[in-house]
Amino acid sequence: MRRAAPPAEVVEAIREHESGPGSLNAFLAVADPSDLRAPGIRGPLESVPLAVKDNLATLLLPTTCGSRVLEGYRSPFEATAVRRAREAGAVVVGKTNMDEFGMGSSTENSAYGPTRNPHDRARVPGGSSGGSAAAIAAGLVPVALGSDTGGSVRQPAAFCGVVGLKPTYGRVSRYGLVAYASSLDQVGTLGRTVGDAARLLGVIAGHDPRDATSVKRAVPDFETAVGRGVEGLVVGIPREYVTDGLDAGIRALIDRAADTLVDGGADVREVSLPNTRHAIPSYYVIAPAEASSNLSRYDGVRYGLRVAEDDLVSMYERTRSRGLGLEVKRRIMLGTYALSAGYYDQYYGTAQRARRLITRDFARVFADSVDVLLTPTSPTPAFSLGERTADPIEMYLSDVFTVTANLAGIPAVSVPIGRVQGLPVGGQLLSGWWQEERMLAAAGALEAAGLGERA
Amino acid sequence: MSVGREQAERIAHLARLRFEDDELTTITEELNHILEHVEALREVGSTGDEGTTAEDLGDAAAASAAATRDEDADHPDTLVRPLDSFAPDWREGFFVVPPLPGTQGSDGA
Repeated sequence: MRRAAPPAEVVEAIREHESGPGSLNAFLAVADPSDLRAPGIRGPLESVPLAVKDNLATLLLPTTCGSRVLEGYRSPFEATAVRRAREAGAVVVGKTNMDEFGMGSSTENSAYGPTRNPHDRARVPGGSSGGSAAAIAAGLVPVALGSDTGGSVRQPAAFCGVVGLKPTYGRVSRYGLVAYASSLDQVGTLGRTVGDAARLLGVIAGHDPRDATSVKRAVPDFETAVGRGVEGLVVGIPREYVTDGLDAGIRALIDRAADTLVDGGADVREVSLPNTRHAIPSYYVIAPAEASSNLSRYDGVRYGLRVAEDDLVSMYERTRSRGLGLEVKRRIMLGTYALSAGYYDQYYGTAQRARRLITRDFARVFADSVDVLLTPTSPTPAFSLGERTADPIEMYLSDVFTVTANLAGIPAVSVPIGRVQGLPVGGQLLSGWWQEERMLAAAGALEAAGLGERA
Repeated sequence: MSVGREQAERIAHLARLRFEDDELTTITEELNHILEHVEALREVGSTGDEGTTAEDLGDAAAASAAATRDEDADHPDTLVRPLDSFAPDWREGFFVVPPLPGTQGSDGA
């Protein structure tokens, strides 16, 4: 990791930036300089300033998830990923803005105002980890933690021209990650470089007895894998992701990335994942269904906002209606409907079957000697603020290439592969379960070729 | 299949959400718009197994599918700040809430 400025200077720079006229609104809370005593820890992240998405519990700073219902909430415990990063020497310099509870693809659904894209302030940084991606792109921090339920680390990384990594489901403990859709949620890392994101992953990965979904499995040396090269690697390009309808500029960048991998000695071939078309409809049944259950806890009883009323049910309803934002309510309604008597099998059951078909598609190509898949991260570069807020479906479609990795539980990483109309474009590399090293080797090769800096 | 206003009201009640009249109209329209897209799943069919088995995924994924809670799982962290530091209303070791609708509060009884 390139040597970063000392955390105290970083905090000062963030404060100055966030209070200035050109503020990106990337941070919801910034550390107090008096809390930045050098931890004196020698480790792989020694004195590295770390930004943390606001849905990961931190002890010193509030954890609001971008929601009014948790305004000012201070967690009484710390997320395992944050603790492990601190124990490796990282210093938490702030909490980053996000779509409320992770529900969104633009960071416009934050109750505390949208984050702006440092490459063009009229555009969104992507989401839901938009604050983390923007903070890195603006040069405020070298690495950040995010969470990825349907692309929330990878899509903002692509929009902001940084690296975003979602590991295999079960690789990182979610203890202290505020739940959105538990069968899909995974903590991810963002960095200026593939190596930085990989190093942070290496630190936070591994079994945690406090999260039953974290798996007992050795953690490989991810950072070394980044420089391994792609000689002999079999790379598949799924035809369902690179269609005639894809933006011509993005398609050309994918072709160039594929050529780069061939130059490095990889064998690139076309593959098919025929059930990809089911991904968005099944995701937008499964995620809201789980959200409607997970978010029932925001009822004004134990923590967070309470709107006083004379009876209990009115208190629940008023508290939730005032504390939760429009998109969150929309998804709770959708999920409640999909799980309600008489509709459960039609929606939830069918979506689960579609999920299985998508998972089998991946299992088949990876069993058929493909090591890594290459796709665009998002069908378009960063869109303008307000451009997609009127139509939920328009917004949901920006996740079309990323949700499949969450549905199947496989790892994926977005790496800058060039620019279209001056805006960064991300290439997504996916590998089989627990094979992060392979996708990191491919991402490292694209980065080393300097594709991200070129038009 | 489309959701009517009355049904949307019932879903809102199940979800413990309350909408103003115009909000309910909007959210009903949006739900129907989203459900139209979800209808595409029909071709997946209504038979077959749900969920993914270890055989589908091969050995590498089996470890993930087989993950279960440890017998010796740690207890959660000790809280660094007490419950009453963030509870909306807390008295004598209890979270205090208003009475159920239609019942008399027993406050102070």
